[in-house]
Amino acid sequence: MSERAPRVSKSDSDWLGLKKELSHRRRVILTVLSFVLPIGLWALVSYVPWLWHPLVKITSPGDVDYFIEEMEVPKEVFAQENAKILAQKGTPAVGARVNPVYLPSPGAVVRAFYTGFKTPPRLPNEPWLHESLGHSIRTIFWGFVLSSLVGVPLGILCGTYRFIAKLQEPFVEFFRYLPAPAFGALCVAILGIDDGPKIAIIFIGTFFQQVLVIANTVRKVDPALIEAAQTLGASRLKLVFRVIIPASITDIYTDMRILLGWAWTYLIVAEVVGTMSGITFFINQQARYRNFDNVYAAIAMIGIIGFSTDLFLAWLGTVMFPWKRKTRSSKKASIFSRLWPKAMEPVPDAPPEEPTADTNKVEVKPDVAY
Amino acid sequence: MKLKTLLVAAVAALLGTALQAEPIKIAYSDWPGYTVLEVAKQKGWFKDAGLDVELVWFDYLPSIDAFSANKVDAVTIVATDALVAGASGGKSKIVALLDYSEGSDMIVGVPGINSIKDLKGKKIGIEVTLVEHLLLLEALKRNGMTQSDVELINTPTNDTPQVLASGKVSAIGAWYPSSGQALKQVANSKPLFTSADAKGLIYDVLAVNPTSYAKHKDEWAKIAAVYYKCVDYLKDPKTKDDAVKIMSAKVGADAADYAKNVPGTHFLTVAEAKTAFKKGDGLDSIYGSMKIGNQFNLDNKVYKDSQKPESYLAPAIVEGMK
Repeated sequence: MSERAPRVSKSDSDWLGLKKELSHRRRVILTVLSFVLPIGLWALVSYVPWLWHPLVKITSPGDVDYFIEEMEVPKEVFAQENAKILAQKGTPAVGARVNPVYLPSPGAVVRAFYTGFKTPPRLPNEPWLHESLGHSIRTIFWGFVLSSLVGVPLGILCGTYRFIAKLQEPFVEFFRYLPAPAFGALCVAILGIDDGPKIAIIFIGTFFQQVLVIANTVRKVDPALIEAAQTLGASRLKLVFRVIIPASITDIYTDMRILLGWAWTYLIVAEVVGTMSGITFFINQQARYRNFDNVYAAIAMIGIIGFSTDLFLAWLGTVMFPWKRKTRSSKKASIFSRLWPKAMEPVPDAPPEEPTADTNKVEVKPDVAY
Repeated sequence: MKLKTLLVAAVAALLGTALQAEPIKIAYSDWPGYTVLEVAKQKGWFKDAGLDVELVWFDYLPSIDAFSANKVDAVTIVATDALVAGASGGKSKIVALLDYSEGSDMIVGVPGINSIKDLKGKKIGIEVTLVEHLLLLEALKRNGMTQSDVELINTPTNDTPQVLASGKVSAIGAWYPSSGQALKQVANSKPLFTSADAKGLIYDVLAVNPTSYAKHKDEWAKIAAVYYKCVDYLKDPKTKDDAVKIMSAKVGADAADYAKNVPGTHFLTVAEAKTAFKKGDGLDSIYGSMKIGNQFNLDNKVYKDSQKPESYLAPAIVEGMK
C-alpha cells in the first residue's frame, strides 16, 4: 500500500516528476484546474470585451438609416457608418460590443441550464426537459445493452479462437467504417418511427467497435496462464470461463466504459432518425431558433451525464474488482474516491482527514456548473 | 440475420406494440402550414370529429423517409417533394392543398448585391435540389439568366445564416426561420427575390398513402375538414393569437417573432384550395405548379422518370367540401 498516494512534504515540490504519484491535494487541485482552465478561457472571451467581441449590438440606431435596434453588425461597419454620420453632423448610433450568438457566455448557459429544468413544456403532453433527457438515456441504455449482449461474447470468442476471429473480424473491420447514421432510413423502414431505429443506430455505431476492441483485449491475456491451465488439463470451456475471462475481465470492463462514451457520441445522430425526441430534439429546435445558450446547456447536460456515469462505473469497478484497485485508480476514479473516502478505502492505511473531504466536495462544484 | 431479429424482438418488447386498432398517423414538421395542425391536436378536434388521429412530429426530411417507408399514413410536404418521394416508390395521393409560400422562402443578398442580376458570376449558398433551388431558378429565369450564370455552393438550409455571415457567398436561399435569421444577422442584407414574387411556385400539401386513402376516404375527408378548421382559427382575428401561441410553442419560437413570420405563408381556405385544384398551366393551379416542379426535378436529375401530377392529385375531397 506504500505506492498509494504517499504523503508529500512541502519541500518535495517537484510537480513534474516522471511517473511519480502526485499527492492527494495536488491531484485534486489539478482535477479542478482541468475544468477551471477551459471554462476560465471561455469566461475571458465572453466577459472581456476587447478580447474578441467582433460585433456591435445596436441599442439606438441614431441617424444610420438601416440600423435597427437589436441588430448586430460587425464592429468595422459600425465604426464606418458612425464616421459617416459624424461627418454629416448627425446623431451617431449607439451599441454594445457582443460576441456572435453562437458563443453565449458561461453565465447565460448556467442560467439556461437552470431555467431549462424549471420551465414547464409550453404545450401540454410535451415532455419536460428532464423527461427528454430520460428518453435519451433510455435510448443509449438499450442501444448499449443490446450491443453488449452480442458484442461482448462475440469479442471474447474472437479473442480466444483464431477460427472465429478469421470468420468474423474481416467483415466487422470493414463494417465499422460504414457511417451508422446512413442506415437511418433503412432502420426506419424495418423498425418503425419510434425508439427502434434510434436504438439501432447506437447499436450499429457501438457493436462493431466493441467486437474488435474486446477481441484485442482478450488476446492480450498472458499466454503463460493459458499454457499453465492447459498443462493442468483444463477443458476448452473451462479455459474460457476459468482463465481467459477472469484474466481479462477488468480490461474488458475498462473497454466497456470507453465504448459507452462512444455510444453517447452517436446519440445526436440517432435521435434525428424517426420522430424527433430526446435531448437532440431540444438541441436542434433551440439551434434553429438561435437560442444557443439553451443549446450549450443541453450539450453540458450530456457531458455531465456521461462524465458522472463514467465516475460511477469507475467506482463500481473498484468495488467489483478489488484486486485491480491500484491500477484502476484513474483520475476520475480518484475524484470519486475522494468524495466517498470510506466506501473506497477498505484498507485504512492513510485515512483522509475530514476537512480534505469537505473542501473537495466544494471544489468539484465547477463540474456541476459547467 | 441474427442481429436484425434480435433487434426486432427486443424493440418490439421494449415498445410493447399492442395489437390494438392503429390510429391514422400523420407526420408533420416545422413549417407554419404544417404546424397549424397542432391547433387541432391541442383543441381535441380530431376526437370531436370521431377520428383516431396521431400527429407525429419530425424533422422535415425524416418525415418524408417515414412516409416512404410506410410508417405513417400521411405527410405534410412540398408538392414537388411528393413527386420526389413518389419517384422512388413512396407514391401518394394529394388530398388537400395546405398553403403556398408567400415570402417565407427567400434569396437573401449581402450588402452591395441589390438585385438578382447583380449575382452574375457570384457564389450562392443553397441546398441543391430543394425548393430554394427551384425558387432561385425561377428568379434567374425572370431576369433572363440561367443557373450557369451563378455558382451554387451546396449548403444545408439550417446553416445558411452562418454561411451568409461568413462573407464567403454573395447570397443564400432559405426559408423561415433561417431566412429571417440571415436577414437579422447580416447587417444591410436584403431579400432579392421571395416566394411572394412567385406565388404558387411552392405549394404545401397533405400527401396520403394511396392504400390508406382508398380504405379510409371518409376519415381523410374529415381530416381535411379539420385542417381547414385550423386555418380558419388562425385567420380569425379573434382566435389568431391563440393559434400563434400554440404553433410557436410547438416549434419553440417566441410567439411575437413567430406571428411576424406567419404572413409569409399563404394559408389556403377551402374556397382557395378548390380554385387551386382546377387544372391549368399557371402557378395558380397546382397542376401547373407541379409540372414546373417535375421539370425541375428532371433537369436536376433528382429522378429519371417523369412524374404525372394527375396521378398524385386527388381533388375529390376538397371539391366535395362546402
